[in-house]
Amino acid sequence: MNVRRHPFAAGMSLLVLLFLWLPLIGVAVNSFNQQTIMAGWGGFTTHWYGLALHDQNVRTGLETTLYIAVASALLSLAIAVSGALWWRRASPKARAVYDGLIYARIILPEVVSATALFFLFLKIHFTLGLTAIVIGHTVWNSAYAAIIVQARMAGLDPALEEAAADLGATPWRTFRRVTFAALLPAIIAAGLLAFTFSFDDVVTSVFLQGASNTPLPVVILGMIRFRITPEINAIGLLVMLFTVTLMSIAVLIYATAGSLGRSGRRGNMLDIYRGR
Amino acid sequence: MTDAAVDINGVEKRFGDLVAVRNLDLRIEPGEFFSIIGPSGCGKTTTLRMIAGFEDPTAGRISVGGRDMTGVRPYRRPVNTVFQSYALFPHLDVFENVAFGLREAKVGKAEVRTRVDEAVTLVQLQGRERSRPRQLSGGQQQRVALARALVNRPEVLLLDEPLGALDLKLRTDMQTQLKDLQRSVGVTFCYVTHDQGEAFSMSDRVAVMNHGLLEQVGTPEEIYHRPASSFVADFVGTANRFAGRVEGVEADRYSVAIDGVGPRTAGGPAGLTAGTPVQVLVRPENLQLDGPVADGGTGLDASVVDTAFLGAERTVRLHSPMLGELSATARGSGQAPEQGSRVGLSWSDADAWLIPAADAGP
Repeated sequence: MNVRRHPFAAGMSLLVLLFLWLPLIGVAVNSFNQQTIMAGWGGFTTHWYGLALHDQNVRTGLETTLYIAVASALLSLAIAVSGALWWRRASPKARAVYDGLIYARIILPEVVSATALFFLFLKIHFTLGLTAIVIGHTVWNSAYAAIIVQARMAGLDPALEEAAADLGATPWRTFRRVTFAALLPAIIAAGLLAFTFSFDDVVTSVFLQGASNTPLPVVILGMIRFRITPEINAIGLLVMLFTVTLMSIAVLIYATAGSLGRSGRRGNMLDIYRGR
Repeated sequence: MTDAAVDINGVEKRFGDLVAVRNLDLRIEPGEFFSIIGPSGCGKTTTLRMIAGFEDPTAGRISVGGRDMTGVRPYRRPVNTVFQSYALFPHLDVFENVAFGLREAKVGKAEVRTRVDEAVTLVQLQGRERSRPRQLSGGQQQRVALARALVNRPEVLLLDEPLGALDLKLRTDMQTQLKDLQRSVGVTFCYVTHDQGEAFSMSDRVAVMNHGLLEQVGTPEEIYHRPASSFVADFVGTANRFAGRVEGVEADRYSVAIDGVGPRTAGGPAGLTAGTPVQVLVRPENLQLDGPVADGGTGLDASVVDTAFLGAERTVRLHSPMLGELSATARGSGQAPEQGSRVGLSWSDADAWLIPAADAGP
């Protein structure tokens, strides 16, 4: 579309970009602002970063969040990989049901699944807390991970596994040296994605937190309610940089992983796993 | 008698209602270049996959080197496969692809080096050890697949249409190389293809399959000149077939009455009795065109429908009122018979072969 000939589309795009980036730029700038009330520019300082990094609430929140994110990512991967392995040999009907369950978990509003889990845990007397949050995150994380891993699995030529068996590899060795090696880029990408989604989740965490330590995004929410300071901006910028980096790595790995067919295309991230 | 390289005994394979292979008996001798040919769906690939262990026979028994392979998983069999798609591991380089089987067999590091080097040299890929499969041409990938299989010194090498994905020129080159390779390593080759020319040019013996049944096993010459059925006759080349009846048996030859032609003699399989309806096979290159004849001649004649120039030879399509549609091949640079002209036809009795008509197709 020629932008010059469509001034309305060009104007809308500009507005969207402004609304997207201006707040982020504001956060970045104010994180270095000396003026506590941020009414204007009070001069440059890195004081707020020091404050943020030494804030006990923030540190505990970060530890809690990292624990949840790692646990949920690992659990999601286990579900996604074993699901994908089963999926290959499943009947078309069973596959349709499995795929439907995946999409249902993605489409379902988070607040609904969080509420449902909240009542379920109360009913079965399962104590709310970190484990509950990990389970809650895994509900949707495992769905995203499954889609990524399955897409890779679908491109895997079954003849590769037959070839491995033909060359003397036992089923376990074939899985390790061929199947798993081929899935690895997808596994890494899915893991990073799940980690990131879990890392900045608020809704499920609030519902299922119980009396446990508070995850970082919920800590930030609490701080904003109380008082907005440049410290929050500093935390925000750090979190943003961290998640953007992880997401970029995930996208990069997935996009550059070579195809699994007879003739691959470009680079191959399988290089990082030499199969032994 | 030494053990066969592969002994297939009364093997049947069903997939649900579909019978892919029925009652197959086949013996492949050690050191032989053996091919199984047939149209797609004839059961040739299923047979190969049963030897490799990817499929289990529904009934019957397969032995490799005298050992019963029933229940033996693919990774425990003394055979290796070259796959139609090559199935090279995309995440491993050429060296590691070739070394795959040796590493699984826990061969020592130094020996892996030597044997992989040997195998890579054998297929002329020195210097490409660190390349990825996708960086190689189709022909090179094919050779990696060969090296990867041969490096394990299998008792039998199974090849599933390995040249199918290559273009014609490369395919012809690879046929020569494969034959040379087989001679130099002395490994038994079991080669599956739908291309009879490919099979004939390389094989010591060929098996022809159709609809899961073995039609004939023999040397390429036997298969071509003495086909056991009209299916085989048509599958391996163009066939002129004339209906007739066995009149009598003289030593190893038959006298036969051909409808519209009269008494002739021809070779044929043993056991035909007088009165048996047969088809008389004459290959196009054995059908001689004897120059223009006048109308109303008493000899055997046909009119020229069409000629096609193919370089080394010329194919002539003919129509005979008595014998129907015919095909003849003329070699050399002689003048092409003119379209529409009438030519005399003849063949030597030594070049005629009988096929029982009970088996004759359409």
